Amino acid sequence: MNKTTLFVLALGALVGVTTTASAEPRRLSSLHDDVAVRHRRLLVSGRFEVAPLFESSIDADYQHTVGGGLKLEYHLGDMFSIGVVGVGSTSLHTSLVDKIVTTLPDAPNMTKDPSKDQFLDHLNSMPFHSAAYVSLTPWYGKLAAFSQAYVAFDFYFQAGVTFAMLKSSCPPTVCSDTHPGTSVMSGGDTIPPDNDPKNDPPLNDGQRVGLYLGGGIHVFLSDFLALDLTVRDYAFSDNPSGADFNADQFVGTSQTLGDDNRFLHHLFFGAGLSIMFPTTVKRTP
Amino acid sequence: MRTLRHRSRSALIVALALVASTAFADNKKGGAKPPAGGTKPAGGAGGGGKGSGSGGESGEIEMDSDAGKGSGSAKPAGGGSGVDSGEIQMDEDQNKPGDLSADLAADQGNVAVKTGEVKKTPISWKDIIVVIRKPFLKVRRTELYPMVGTTMNDNMIRHETIGGEFAYYLTDVLAIGVEGQYYVHTFAEPFDLVARQARRLPTVNQYNWSTALDFHYVPVYGKFAVLDHKLITWEAYFTAGIGVGQSEVVPRDKAFPGFTNLLIEPNLGANMRFFLAKWLTVNLGIRDYLFIDKYEPTNRSATMNATATEAQSHADSAFVNNIMFQIGLSFWLPTSFDYTTFR
Repeated sequence: MNKTTLFVLALGALVGVTTTASAEPRRLSSLHDDVAVRHRRLLVSGRFEVAPLFESSIDADYQHTVGGGLKLEYHLGDMFSIGVVGVGSTSLHTSLVDKIVTTLPDAPNMTKDPSKDQFLDHLNSMPFHSAAYVSLTPWYGKLAAFSQAYVAFDFYFQAGVTFAMLKSSCPPTVCSDTHPGTSVMSGGDTIPPDNDPKNDPPLNDGQRVGLYLGGGIHVFLSDFLALDLTVRDYAFSDNPSGADFNADQFVGTSQTLGDDNRFLHHLFFGAGLSIMFPTTVKRTP
Repeated sequence: MRTLRHRSRSALIVALALVASTAFADNKKGGAKPPAGGTKPAGGAGGGGKGSGSGGESGEIEMDSDAGKGSGSAKPAGGGSGVDSGEIQMDEDQNKPGDLSADLAADQGNVAVKTGEVKKTPISWKDIIVVIRKPFLKVRRTELYPMVGTTMNDNMIRHETIGGEFAYYLTDVLAIGVEGQYYVHTFAEPFDLVARQARRLPTVNQYNWSTALDFHYVPVYGKFAVLDHKLITWEAYFTAGIGVGQSEVVPRDKAFPGFTNLLIEPNLGANMRFFLAKWLTVNLGIRDYLFIDKYEPTNRSATMNATATEAQSHADSAFVNNIMFQIGLSFWLPTSFDYTTFR
């Protein structure tokens, strides 16, 4: 065996050892693949959640929407759940509306200013809105308040579809235009559009279907009671003022300028009390 | 004498066992479960180490490989004390400065070791409160908080801000700080719609800048797990302050000049802080700036309120809640901290 052979064998052995050493997996702590929390109370997994709630709109333009409702949710596991929420509500004028109305004339005049009734009767309200959604709860934990109260909480995010009922009630005496934006034949004469959107029907009532997004927090007061705080976005086609939005001189759909209704976000803040069923909880290993 | 001799013999056996265990201590992975009466490493409870010493029938103590770290003594990795010296080691952290996750992992690694019989005492176990130490200390540290913000409650004019705050923590829950913000504005959809649909020109003010002296109080802290794996600590704190700011009238008619107002602005806020490292946090929160602002008078013409001074003297006043959402990164100085209490 000459020196070359010995060198090749030694090199091969070295490479082999090196390869073996590098092939060994890096030694990790036994906690590396462990869950973050052991013996954790499964506060939502496999439980049915019923939450009476209060909801109020955030930064509404013309009408605040304030109401109460119910959330029903079933937690398929620790992270995923499905649910529905429905809210019946009433509407209150925003301060913007109050400021505008005080400056408007009582009755229609020859100017382009709307009368008080024309302005107010075009506004719509939202007597009912709801959503069906799937929910993801990626974060859970516990907190200490004033170093005294230790409570569990979780953050969740929701996405789904929304269904809303809009209402506007403009009487024929105010919304008197029967052919907004179009010409009609009457007795052999053509009556052109009046180009006055103030007396057009607002076309902002009825049912709407759109997208729903939400995010919130459960703060568990006990094993089966939780404070539920949520910000919800019900997004659908709407024209809250009921007036001409696209400057085509009438309320409706224009071939070139589109519809006065447009896709709008309706932000709400909700606070509820979640009741979990069954009322007892299980623990993780 | 008999009793003394018996004790002497027992002490000899224990000493031999300790010597043998010290000699045979090895990096064996996955030590056996600690049987009743097993030997507990001194200082283990206080140290919160990952390792658990266990005495087998042969008297051999198996050390967890992660805890052993090649040492022959029964010293927990998380710190604590060496058996021989009996000293309590305060600087047990082997983590790199700023490694918050390593500290958290160490806290989670505490393994209760049952060591022998438990004597019943009049004190209930419920009287013993186990609290891990806070993973983040703020006392005598300075927070540099660059932030951005946006209006939450104005449907006519939206302000975005860029600013920052210096806060010094007198204790772990109390801080005093100075903030400053610069505002830029855009008009929201109703600003144009009101003018076009209701034929009314809105009266709005823009905000230019603000500064305040703030006090922070941190009553709530906690931790949460992300996707059941990563632990993140957080806290909630409240803010109250007093400051000044400047608003400026946006003239309805550009032919007439606007004017500025110096505002006294108390503020209230609630915020959350998420700890990413010993020197870095993410902050977000809501702040309500309260002030009485002066707006452009309704009637302005060539003969009435034509000048800025005249218009300001006849300005309409209104109380304003300017609610802002703010978010930013906080940088902490010094970049690390030392504990003064046991883990």
